[in-house]
Amino acid sequence: MFLVNPRGIGMTEWLDDFVVRAVIAGLIMVAIAAPMGCLMVWQRLAFLSDTLGHAAVMGVGLGLLLQVQPIFGVLAVALLIVFSLSRVTSFNTALSETTLAIISHTGLAGGIILVGLLPAHTVNLEAILFGDLLATTIDDLVTLLVTTVLLLFVLLHNWRSFVAVSVSREIAQAEGIEVRKVQFLMYIMIALLVAVMMKVMGVLLIAAMLVIPTTSARLFSRSPEQMVFISGVYGLGALAGGITGSFQFDWQTGPAIVVSATLLLLLTLGVTRSFKPHLE
Amino acid sequence: MQAELLVRARHLSLTLGKRQILDDISFELSRAEITTIIGPNGAGKTTLTNIVNGLIGNFEGEIERMPGLRIGYLPQKVYVNTLMPLSVERLLQLTYSPTDQELDRALAQTEVAYLKQRQVRSLSEGELKRVLLARTTLGQPDLIVLDEPTAGVDVSGEIRMYQLIGELRDQLQCAVLLVSHDLHLVMSQTDQVLCLNQHLCCSGLPESVSQHPEYLALFGQQASDSIAIYTHHHDHEHDVSGESSGHRHD
Repeated sequence: MFLVNPRGIGMTEWLDDFVVRAVIAGLIMVAIAAPMGCLMVWQRLAFLSDTLGHAAVMGVGLGLLLQVQPIFGVLAVALLIVFSLSRVTSFNTALSETTLAIISHTGLAGGIILVGLLPAHTVNLEAILFGDLLATTIDDLVTLLVTTVLLLFVLLHNWRSFVAVSVSREIAQAEGIEVRKVQFLMYIMIALLVAVMMKVMGVLLIAAMLVIPTTSARLFSRSPEQMVFISGVYGLGALAGGITGSFQFDWQTGPAIVVSATLLLLLTLGVTRSFKPHLE
Repeated sequence: MQAELLVRARHLSLTLGKRQILDDISFELSRAEITTIIGPNGAGKTTLTNIVNGLIGNFEGEIERMPGLRIGYLPQKVYVNTLMPLSVERLLQLTYSPTDQELDRALAQTEVAYLKQRQVRSLSEGELKRVLLARTTLGQPDLIVLDEPTAGVDVSGEIRMYQLIGELRDQLQCAVLLVSHDLHLVMSQTDQVLCLNQHLCCSGLPESVSQHPEYLALFGQQASDSIAIYTHHHDHEHDVSGESSGHRHD
Protein backbone atom coordinates (compact mmCIF):
# COMPACT_ATOMS: atom_id res chain seq x y z
CA MET A 1 0.00 0.00 0.00
CA PHE A 2 2.81 2.32 -0.98
CA LEU A 3 0.60 5.19 -2.17
CA VAL A 4 -1.62 5.23 0.84
CA ASN A 5 1.04 5.06 3.52
CA PRO A 6 4.57 5.65 2.26
CA ARG A 7 5.99 5.63 5.78
CA GLY A 8 4.54 2.24 6.49
CA ILE A 9 7.10 0.39 4.41
CA GLY A 10 10.54 -0.95 5.31
CA MET A 11 12.96 1.93 4.89
CA THR A 12 11.39 4.46 7.21
CA GLU A 13 9.50 2.24 9.60
CA TRP A 14 12.12 2.51 12.31
CA LEU A 15 11.82 6.31 12.14
CA ASP A 16 8.28 6.00 13.42
CA ASP A 17 9.66 5.59 16.93
CA PHE A 18 9.91 9.06 18.46
CA VAL A 19 12.89 8.03 20.57
CA VAL A 20 14.79 7.00 17.44
CA ARG A 21 13.99 10.35 15.84
CA ALA A 22 15.11 12.17 18.98
CA VAL A 23 18.41 10.27 19.07
CA ILE A 24 19.11 10.96 15.39
CA ALA A 25 18.30 14.65 15.79
CA GLY A 26 20.61 14.78 18.79
CA LEU A 27 23.44 13.04 16.94
CA ILE A 28 23.17 15.40 13.99
CA MET A 29 23.21 18.36 16.35
CA VAL A 30 26.34 17.11 18.13
CA ALA A 31 28.11 16.63 14.79
CA ILE A 32 27.67 20.30 13.90
CA ALA A 33 27.78 21.80 17.41
CA ALA A 34 31.31 20.48 18.03
CA PRO A 35 33.16 22.27 15.19
CA MET A 36 30.92 25.35 15.25
CA GLY A 37 31.15 25.56 19.04
CA CYS A 38 34.96 25.43 18.92
CA LEU A 39 35.18 28.13 16.27
CA MET A 40 32.79 30.34 18.20
CA VAL A 41 34.65 29.90 21.46
CA TRP A 42 37.97 30.63 19.71
CA GLN A 43 36.56 33.76 18.11
CA ARG A 44 34.65 34.78 21.22
CA LEU A 45 31.36 34.63 19.37
CA ALA A 46 29.48 32.45 21.84
CA PHE A 47 27.54 35.49 23.00
CA LEU A 48 26.41 36.08 19.42
CA SER A 49 24.73 32.66 19.30
CA ASP A 50 23.02 33.52 22.58
CA THR A 51 21.79 36.79 21.10
CA LEU A 52 20.51 35.13 17.95
CA GLY A 53 18.87 32.48 20.08
CA HIS A 54 16.99 35.02 22.21
CA ALA A 55 16.01 37.04 19.18
CA ALA A 56 14.81 33.82 17.54
CA VAL A 57 11.67 34.04 19.69
CA MET A 58 10.78 37.09 17.62
CA GLY A 59 11.38 35.00 14.50
CA VAL A 60 9.08 32.26 15.75
CA GLY A 61 6.37 34.82 16.48
CA LEU A 62 6.75 36.42 13.06
CA GLY A 63 6.74 33.04 11.36
CA LEU A 64 3.49 32.08 13.06
CA LEU A 65 1.88 35.46 12.40
CA LEU A 66 2.76 35.25 8.71
CA GLN A 67 1.80 31.58 8.70
CA VAL A 68 5.12 30.25 7.48
CA GLN A 69 7.29 27.64 9.17
CA PRO A 70 8.73 29.18 12.38
CA ILE A 71 12.23 28.15 11.30
CA PHE A 72 12.03 30.56 8.34
CA GLY A 73 10.99 33.36 10.65
CA VAL A 74 13.96 32.54 12.89
CA LEU A 75 16.36 32.39 9.98
CA ALA A 76 15.09 35.70 8.62
CA VAL A 77 15.54 37.47 11.96
CA ALA A 78 18.96 35.88 12.55
CA LEU A 79 20.21 36.85 9.09
CA LEU A 80 18.87 40.38 9.51
CA ILE A 81 20.81 40.69 12.76
CA VAL A 82 24.09 39.35 11.39
CA PHE A 83 23.84 41.54 8.27
CA SER A 84 23.34 44.64 10.41
CA LEU A 85 26.10 43.62 12.81
CA SER A 86 28.58 43.08 10.01
CA ARG A 87 27.75 46.59 8.78
CA VAL A 88 28.34 48.33 12.09
CA THR A 89 31.37 46.40 13.32
CA SER A 90 34.75 47.24 11.92
CA PHE A 91 37.46 44.74 11.14
CA ASN A 92 39.32 44.77 14.42
CA THR A 93 36.73 45.49 17.04
CA ALA A 94 34.92 42.62 18.65
CA LEU A 95 31.15 42.72 18.76
CA SER A 96 30.10 45.02 21.53
CA GLU A 97 28.48 43.31 24.49
CA THR A 98 26.11 46.20 24.92
CA THR A 99 24.86 46.01 21.35
CA LEU A 100 24.37 42.27 21.61
CA ALA A 101 22.57 42.54 24.95
CA ILE A 102 20.15 45.12 23.54
CA ILE A 103 19.38 43.02 20.47
CA SER A 104 19.13 39.87 22.52
CA HIS A 105 16.64 41.10 25.07
CA THR A 106 14.63 43.24 22.72
CA GLY A 107 14.26 40.21 20.48
CA LEU A 108 13.17 38.03 23.35
CA ALA A 109 10.76 40.61 24.79
CA GLY A 110 9.25 41.50 21.41
CA GLY A 111 8.97 37.84 20.55
CA ILE A 112 7.12 37.01 23.75
CA ILE A 113 4.64 39.82 23.05
CA LEU A 114 4.14 38.58 19.49
CA VAL A 115 3.63 35.02 20.62
CA GLY A 116 1.16 36.28 23.24
CA LEU A 117 -0.95 37.82 20.47
CA LEU A 118 -1.45 34.41 18.91
CA PRO A 119 -4.19 32.03 20.03
CA ALA A 120 -2.81 30.02 22.94
CA HIS A 121 -3.07 26.62 21.25
CA THR A 122 -0.99 27.56 18.19
CA VAL A 123 2.25 27.84 20.02
CA ASN A 124 4.05 25.99 22.79
CA LEU A 125 6.26 28.68 24.30
CA GLU A 126 8.08 26.26 26.56
CA ALA A 127 9.13 24.11 23.62
CA ILE A 128 10.50 27.19 21.87
CA LEU A 129 12.45 28.35 24.91
CA PHE A 130 13.80 25.02 26.14
CA GLY A 131 13.56 22.62 23.24
CA ASP A 132 11.44 19.64 22.54
CA LEU A 133 13.68 16.89 21.25
CA LEU A 134 11.15 14.11 21.78
CA ALA A 135 8.70 15.87 19.45
CA THR A 136 11.12 15.80 16.51
CA THR A 137 9.30 15.05 13.26
CA ILE A 138 10.69 13.54 10.08
CA ASP A 139 10.49 16.99 8.47
CA ASP A 140 12.59 18.38 11.32
CA LEU A 141 15.14 15.63 10.74
CA VAL A 142 15.39 16.43 7.05
CA THR A 143 15.89 20.16 7.74
CA LEU A 144 18.49 19.41 10.39
CA LEU A 145 20.38 16.97 8.19
CA VAL A 146 20.44 19.16 5.08
CA THR A 147 21.62 22.22 7.02
CA THR A 148 24.24 20.26 8.91
CA VAL A 149 25.68 18.71 5.75
CA LEU A 150 25.81 22.16 4.17
CA LEU A 151 27.52 23.68 7.22
CA LEU A 152 30.02 20.81 7.49
CA PHE A 153 30.87 21.19 3.83
CA VAL A 154 31.56 24.92 4.21
CA LEU A 155 33.55 24.25 7.38
CA LEU A 156 35.79 21.63 5.75
CA HIS A 157 36.27 23.79 2.69
CA ASN A 158 37.37 26.84 4.70
CA TRP A 159 38.85 25.20 7.78
CA ARG A 160 42.35 26.58 7.33
CA SER A 161 41.10 30.14 6.96
CA PHE A 162 38.74 29.78 9.91
CA VAL A 163 41.56 28.55 12.12
CA ALA A 164 43.97 31.24 10.93
CA VAL A 165 41.42 34.00 11.56
CA SER A 166 40.71 32.53 14.99
CA VAL A 167 44.39 32.59 15.90
CA SER A 168 45.02 36.16 14.84
CA ARG A 169 43.05 38.38 12.52
CA GLU A 170 46.02 40.64 11.93
CA ILE A 171 48.31 37.84 10.80
CA ALA A 172 45.61 36.19 8.70
CA GLN A 173 44.83 39.49 7.00
CA ALA A 174 48.48 40.24 6.31
CA GLU A 175 48.98 36.80 4.84
CA GLY A 176 46.26 37.14 2.28
CA ILE A 177 43.17 35.78 4.00
CA GLU A 178 40.16 38.00 3.50
CA VAL A 179 39.25 38.30 7.14
CA ARG A 180 36.05 40.26 6.65
CA LYS A 181 34.68 37.70 4.22
CA VAL A 182 35.58 34.82 6.51
CA GLN A 183 33.98 36.65 9.43
CA PHE A 184 30.80 37.31 7.49
CA LEU A 185 30.60 33.71 6.34
CA MET A 186 30.98 32.68 9.95
CA TYR A 187 28.08 34.95 11.01
CA ILE A 188 25.77 33.50 8.39
CA MET A 189 26.71 29.99 9.47
CA ILE A 190 25.88 30.87 13.07
CA ALA A 191 22.48 32.19 11.98
CA LEU A 192 21.77 28.91 10.20
CA LEU A 193 23.04 26.91 13.14
CA VAL A 194 20.79 28.72 15.61
CA ALA A 195 17.73 28.23 13.43
CA VAL A 196 18.41 24.52 13.27
CA MET A 197 19.49 23.88 16.86
CA MET A 198 16.44 25.68 18.20
CA LYS A 199 14.27 22.58 17.86
CA VAL A 200 16.55 20.43 19.96
CA MET A 201 17.95 22.82 22.53
CA GLY A 202 15.39 25.59 22.75
CA VAL A 203 16.40 29.14 21.95
CA LEU A 204 17.64 29.94 25.43
CA LEU A 205 20.03 27.02 25.68
CA ILE A 206 21.71 26.90 22.26
CA ALA A 207 24.81 28.73 23.42
CA ALA A 208 25.24 26.28 26.30
CA MET A 209 25.55 23.35 23.91
CA LEU A 210 28.13 25.28 21.89
CA VAL A 211 30.21 26.36 24.86
CA ILE A 212 30.13 23.71 27.59
CA PRO A 213 31.39 20.57 25.77
CA THR A 214 33.98 22.80 24.07
CA THR A 215 35.24 24.06 27.40
CA SER A 216 35.63 20.50 28.69
CA ALA A 217 37.56 19.56 25.56
CA ARG A 218 39.84 22.58 25.85
CA LEU A 219 41.15 21.34 29.19
CA PHE A 220 43.31 18.70 27.59
CA SER A 221 43.36 19.23 23.82
CA ARG A 222 46.67 19.89 22.10
CA SER A 223 45.50 20.94 18.65
CA PRO A 224 42.43 22.66 17.17
CA GLU A 225 41.18 19.49 15.45
CA GLN A 226 41.66 17.43 18.58
CA MET A 227 39.55 19.96 20.46
CA VAL A 228 36.74 19.61 17.90
CA PHE A 229 36.84 15.84 18.16
CA ILE A 230 36.87 15.76 21.95
CA SER A 231 34.05 18.34 22.04
CA GLY A 232 32.05 15.92 19.93
CA VAL A 233 32.66 13.14 22.44
CA TYR A 234 31.54 15.39 25.30
CA GLY A 235 28.53 16.42 23.22
CA LEU A 236 27.58 12.76 22.85
CA GLY A 237 27.90 12.28 26.60
CA ALA A 238 25.67 15.26 27.27
CA LEU A 239 23.16 14.05 24.71
CA ALA A 240 23.04 10.57 26.26
CA GLY A 241 22.49 12.10 29.69
CA GLY A 242 19.88 14.49 28.35
CA ILE A 243 17.86 11.89 26.47
CA THR A 244 17.97 9.50 29.38
CA GLY A 245 16.81 12.21 31.77
CA SER A 246 14.15 13.30 29.35
CA PHE A 247 12.84 9.82 28.57
CA GLN A 248 13.11 8.26 32.03
CA PHE A 249 12.26 11.17 34.30
CA ASP A 250 10.32 13.39 31.94
CA TRP A 251 12.79 16.26 32.29
CA GLN A 252 12.79 18.78 29.52
CA THR A 253 15.36 17.76 26.95
CA GLY A 254 17.29 20.99 26.48
CA PRO A 255 17.82 21.61 30.20
CA ALA A 256 18.67 17.93 30.78
CA ILE A 257 21.37 18.06 28.06
CA VAL A 258 22.83 21.26 29.48
CA VAL A 259 22.96 19.92 33.03
CA SER A 260 24.60 16.71 31.80
CA ALA A 261 27.18 18.72 29.86
CA THR A 262 28.01 20.78 32.94
CA LEU A 263 28.30 17.69 35.14
CA LEU A 264 30.77 16.24 32.63
CA LEU A 265 32.70 19.52 32.68
CA LEU A 266 32.91 19.51 36.47
CA LEU A 267 34.01 15.89 36.44
CA THR A 268 36.71 16.68 33.88
CA LEU A 269 37.85 19.69 35.86
CA GLY A 270 38.19 17.53 38.95
CA VAL A 271 40.18 14.89 37.10
CA THR A 272 42.50 17.29 35.24
CA ARG A 273 43.13 19.26 38.42
CA SER A 274 44.28 16.15 40.25
CA PHE A 275 46.58 15.18 37.36
CA LYS A 276 47.69 18.69 36.47
CA PRO A 277 51.39 18.21 37.34
CA HIS A 278 51.64 15.41 34.78
CA LEU A 279 49.93 17.26 31.99
CA GLU A 280 52.26 20.12 31.28
CA MET B 1 77.19 48.90 -5.57
CA GLN B 2 73.59 50.10 -5.49
CA ALA B 3 71.34 47.79 -3.43
CA GLU B 4 68.29 46.39 -5.19
CA LEU B 5 65.31 48.68 -4.79
CA LEU B 6 62.28 46.84 -3.37
CA VAL B 7 59.77 49.56 -2.54
CA ARG B 8 59.52 53.15 -3.67
CA ALA B 9 56.88 55.30 -2.01
CA ARG B 10 56.20 58.77 -3.33
CA HIS B 11 54.10 61.53 -1.79
CA LEU B 12 51.94 59.24 0.34
CA SER B 13 49.11 61.03 2.11
CA LEU B 14 46.16 59.69 4.02
CA THR B 15 43.23 61.55 5.52
CA LEU B 16 40.62 59.82 7.64
CA GLY B 17 37.61 62.05 8.12
CA LYS B 18 39.07 65.41 8.95
CA ARG B 19 42.20 63.99 10.47
CA GLN B 20 45.38 64.06 8.44
CA ILE B 21 47.17 60.81 9.29
CA LEU B 22 50.01 61.00 6.80
CA ASP B 23 51.20 63.99 4.82
CA ASP B 24 53.40 63.69 1.75
CA ILE B 25 55.73 60.87 2.74
CA SER B 26 58.39 59.63 0.33
CA PHE B 27 61.01 56.96 0.94
CA GLU B 28 62.65 53.91 -0.54
CA LEU B 29 63.35 50.45 0.84
CA SER B 30 66.33 48.51 -0.49
CA ARG B 31 67.39 44.91 -0.16
CA ALA B 32 69.43 44.05 2.92
CA GLU B 33 68.80 47.42 4.51
CA ILE B 34 67.11 48.03 7.82
CA THR B 35 64.82 51.03 7.84
CA THR B 36 63.46 52.22 11.14
CA ILE B 37 60.39 54.40 11.52
CA ILE B 38 60.44 56.41 14.73
CA GLY B 39 57.98 58.98 15.96
CA PRO B 40 55.66 59.84 18.83
CA ASN B 41 52.34 58.11 19.50
CA GLY B 42 49.81 58.83 16.79
CA ALA B 43 52.50 59.82 14.30
CA GLY B 44 51.11 57.39 11.73
CA LYS B 45 53.84 54.76 12.02
CA THR B 46 51.58 51.73 11.91
CA THR B 47 49.47 53.30 9.17
CA LEU B 48 52.56 53.78 7.06
CA THR B 49 53.64 50.17 7.48
CA ASN B 50 50.14 49.04 6.58
CA ILE B 51 50.36 50.97 3.33
CA VAL B 52 53.64 49.24 2.55
CA ASN B 53 52.02 45.88 3.40
CA GLY B 54 49.05 46.51 1.21
CA LEU B 55 46.63 46.37 4.14
CA ILE B 56 45.53 49.96 3.54
CA GLY B 57 44.61 50.98 0.02
CA ASN B 58 42.75 54.30 0.19
CA PHE B 59 45.79 56.57 0.27
CA GLU B 60 46.97 59.28 -2.10
CA GLY B 61 50.34 59.20 -3.76
CA GLU B 62 51.94 56.14 -5.22
CA ILE B 63 53.80 53.11 -4.04
CA GLU B 64 55.78 50.83 -6.32
CA ARG B 65 56.77 47.38 -5.18
CA MET B 66 59.20 45.06 -6.87
CA PRO B 67 57.09 42.58 -8.89
CA GLY B 68 56.46 39.43 -6.83
CA LEU B 69 57.64 41.08 -3.61
CA ARG B 70 57.12 38.72 -0.69
CA ILE B 71 56.44 40.32 2.66
CA GLY B 72 56.63 38.82 6.14
CA TYR B 73 54.69 40.80 8.72
CA LEU B 74 54.76 40.97 12.49
CA PRO B 75 51.87 43.18 13.63
CA GLN B 76 52.18 45.45 16.63
CA LYS B 77 49.42 43.93 18.67
CA VAL B 78 49.23 40.26 18.10
CA TYR B 79 46.37 38.96 20.05
CA VAL B 80 47.14 35.27 19.81
CA ASN B 81 44.14 33.32 20.86
CA THR B 82 44.66 31.59 24.20
CA LEU B 83 41.38 29.72 23.96
CA MET B 84 42.67 27.55 21.16
CA PRO B 85 45.05 24.67 21.78
CA LEU B 86 47.85 25.34 19.33
CA SER B 87 51.47 24.22 19.22
CA VAL B 88 54.24 26.54 18.09
CA GLU B 89 54.83 24.21 15.17
CA ARG B 90 51.21 24.53 14.11
CA LEU B 91 51.29 28.31 14.50
CA LEU B 92 54.04 28.40 11.89
CA GLN B 93 51.96 26.26 9.56
CA LEU B 94 48.79 28.36 9.74
CA THR B 95 48.88 29.82 6.27
CA TYR B 96 52.12 28.42 4.84
CA SER B 97 53.11 24.81 4.47
CA PRO B 98 56.82 24.93 5.30
CA THR B 99 58.94 21.79 5.16
CA ASP B 100 60.25 20.43 8.46
CA GLN B 101 63.68 21.78 7.60
CA GLU B 102 62.39 25.28 6.89
CA LEU B 103 60.41 25.23 10.10
CA ASP B 104 63.36 24.12 12.22
CA ARG B 105 65.67 26.62 10.52
CA ALA B 106 63.25 29.47 11.14
CA LEU B 107 62.88 28.63 14.83
CA ALA B 108 66.62 28.13 15.24
CA GLN B 109 67.29 31.50 13.66
CA THR B 110 65.44 33.29 16.42
CA GLU B 111 66.81 30.92 19.07
CA VAL B 112 63.50 29.28 19.93
CA ALA B 113 63.95 25.79 18.44
CA TYR B 114 63.27 24.35 21.90
CA LEU B 115 59.74 25.79 21.85
CA LYS B 116 58.61 23.83 18.80
CA GLN B 117 56.28 21.45 20.60
CA ARG B 118 55.11 23.89 23.26
CA GLN B 119 51.58 25.25 23.39
CA VAL B 120 51.38 28.86 22.25
CA ARG B 121 49.28 29.84 25.27
CA SER B 122 52.10 28.80 27.62
CA LEU B 123 54.67 31.14 26.03
CA SER B 124 55.91 34.33 27.65
CA GLU B 125 55.52 37.53 25.69
CA GLY B 126 59.19 37.55 24.75
CA GLU B 127 59.07 33.93 23.58
CA LEU B 128 55.95 34.62 21.55
CA LYS B 129 57.57 37.60 19.85
CA ARG B 130 60.54 35.46 18.83
CA VAL B 131 58.30 32.71 17.53
CA LEU B 132 56.34 35.25 15.51
CA LEU B 133 59.58 36.75 14.25
CA ALA B 134 60.59 33.26 13.11
CA ARG B 135 57.22 33.04 11.39
CA THR B 136 57.88 36.15 9.30
CA THR B 137 60.96 34.49 7.80
CA LEU B 138 59.00 31.58 6.29
CA GLY B 139 58.29 31.74 2.59
CA GLN B 140 61.58 33.53 1.75
CA PRO B 141 60.41 37.08 2.24
CA ASP B 142 62.08 39.96 0.39
CA LEU B 143 60.85 42.37 3.02
CA ILE B 144 60.05 41.86 6.68
CA VAL B 145 57.79 44.43 8.31
CA LEU B 146 58.04 44.51 12.10
CA ASP B 147 55.72 46.81 14.00
CA GLU B 148 57.24 47.37 17.44
CA PRO B 149 58.66 43.88 17.73
CA THR B 150 59.93 44.45 21.25
CA ALA B 151 56.79 45.72 22.95
CA GLY B 152 56.47 43.72 26.16
CA VAL B 153 60.05 42.45 26.03
CA ASP B 154 62.53 43.40 28.77
CA VAL B 155 65.55 45.57 27.99
CA SER B 156 68.16 42.85 27.62
CA GLY B 157 65.66 40.89 25.53
CA GLU B 158 65.16 43.98 23.36
CA ILE B 159 68.85 44.33 22.68
CA ARG B 160 69.08 40.68 21.67
CA MET B 161 65.95 41.05 19.55
CA TYR B 162 67.49 43.86 17.53
CA GLN B 163 70.68 41.83 17.11
CA LEU B 164 68.55 38.93 15.84
CA ILE B 165 66.83 41.22 13.37
CA GLY B 166 70.25 42.32 12.12
CA GLU B 167 71.30 38.68 11.75
CA LEU B 168 68.11 37.81 9.90
CA ARG B 169 68.80 40.62 7.48
CA ASP B 170 72.32 39.30 6.89
CA GLN B 171 71.21 35.69 6.40
CA LEU B 172 68.07 36.25 4.37
CA GLN B 173 69.33 39.32 2.52
CA CYS B 174 65.90 40.84 2.96
CA ALA B 175 64.92 44.42 3.63
CA VAL B 176 63.54 45.17 7.08
CA LEU B 177 61.03 47.88 7.88
CA LEU B 178 60.93 48.38 11.61
CA VAL B 179 58.68 50.52 13.77
CA SER B 180 60.19 51.36 17.09
CA HIS B 181 59.88 53.45 20.20
CA ASP B 182 63.25 52.32 21.44
CA LEU B 183 65.26 54.95 19.64
CA HIS B 184 68.51 54.33 21.38
CA LEU B 185 68.46 50.54 21.18
CA VAL B 186 67.49 50.31 17.58
CA MET B 187 69.94 52.77 16.16
CA SER B 188 73.03 50.61 16.01
CA GLN B 189 71.30 48.15 13.68
CA THR B 190 69.71 50.72 11.41
CA ASP B 191 70.75 51.85 7.94
CA GLN B 192 68.01 54.43 7.43
CA VAL B 193 65.79 56.28 9.86
CA LEU B 194 62.44 57.80 8.99
CA CYS B 195 61.43 60.25 11.67
CA LEU B 196 57.68 60.55 11.36
CA ASN B 197 55.12 62.89 12.83
CA GLN B 198 52.32 62.84 10.25
CA HIS B 199 54.87 64.36 7.87
CA LEU B 200 58.40 63.11 7.44
CA CYS B 201 60.38 65.30 9.85
CA CYS B 202 63.70 64.04 8.65
CA SER B 203 65.28 60.91 7.31
CA GLY B 204 68.70 59.48 6.69
CA LEU B 205 71.51 57.86 8.63
CA PRO B 206 70.92 57.51 12.38
CA GLU B 207 73.73 59.93 13.28
CA SER B 208 72.45 62.68 10.99
CA VAL B 209 68.82 62.23 12.04
CA SER B 210 69.72 62.44 15.69
CA GLN B 211 71.19 65.92 15.13
CA HIS B 212 68.28 67.21 13.06
CA PRO B 213 66.39 70.13 14.68
CA GLU B 214 62.96 68.54 14.09
CA TYR B 215 64.14 65.32 15.69
CA LEU B 216 65.46 67.23 18.68
CA ALA B 217 62.19 69.10 18.96
CA LEU B 218 60.28 65.83 19.05
CA PHE B 219 62.47 63.74 21.29
CA GLY B 220 64.75 66.19 23.08
CA GLN B 221 68.49 66.47 23.50
CA GLN B 222 68.59 63.58 25.93
CA ALA B 223 67.38 61.06 23.35
CA SER B 224 69.91 62.41 20.91
CA ASP B 225 72.71 61.99 23.42
CA SER B 226 71.74 58.41 24.13
CA ILE B 227 71.84 57.64 20.41
CA ALA B 228 75.28 59.14 20.19
CA ILE B 229 76.31 56.82 22.99
CA TYR B 230 74.76 53.89 21.25
CA THR B 231 76.16 54.39 17.82
CA HIS B 232 79.65 54.64 19.23
CA HIS B 233 79.71 52.29 22.23
CA HIS B 234 77.46 49.39 21.53
CA ASP B 235 78.42 47.47 24.62
CA HIS B 236 77.44 50.06 27.22
CA GLU B 237 74.06 48.54 27.84
CA HIS B 238 73.70 50.01 31.29
CA ASP B 239 73.28 53.51 29.86
CA VAL B 240 70.20 52.41 28.05
CA SER B 241 67.76 54.68 29.81
CA GLY B 242 69.64 57.76 28.69
CA GLU B 243 69.28 59.23 32.14
CA SER B 244 72.11 60.78 34.09
CA SER B 245 74.38 58.35 35.85
CA GLY B 246 73.33 56.81 39.13
CA HIS B 247 69.73 56.29 38.02
CA ARG B 248 69.86 52.69 37.04
CA HIS B 249 66.69 50.78 37.35
CA ASP B 250 66.19 47.10 36.79
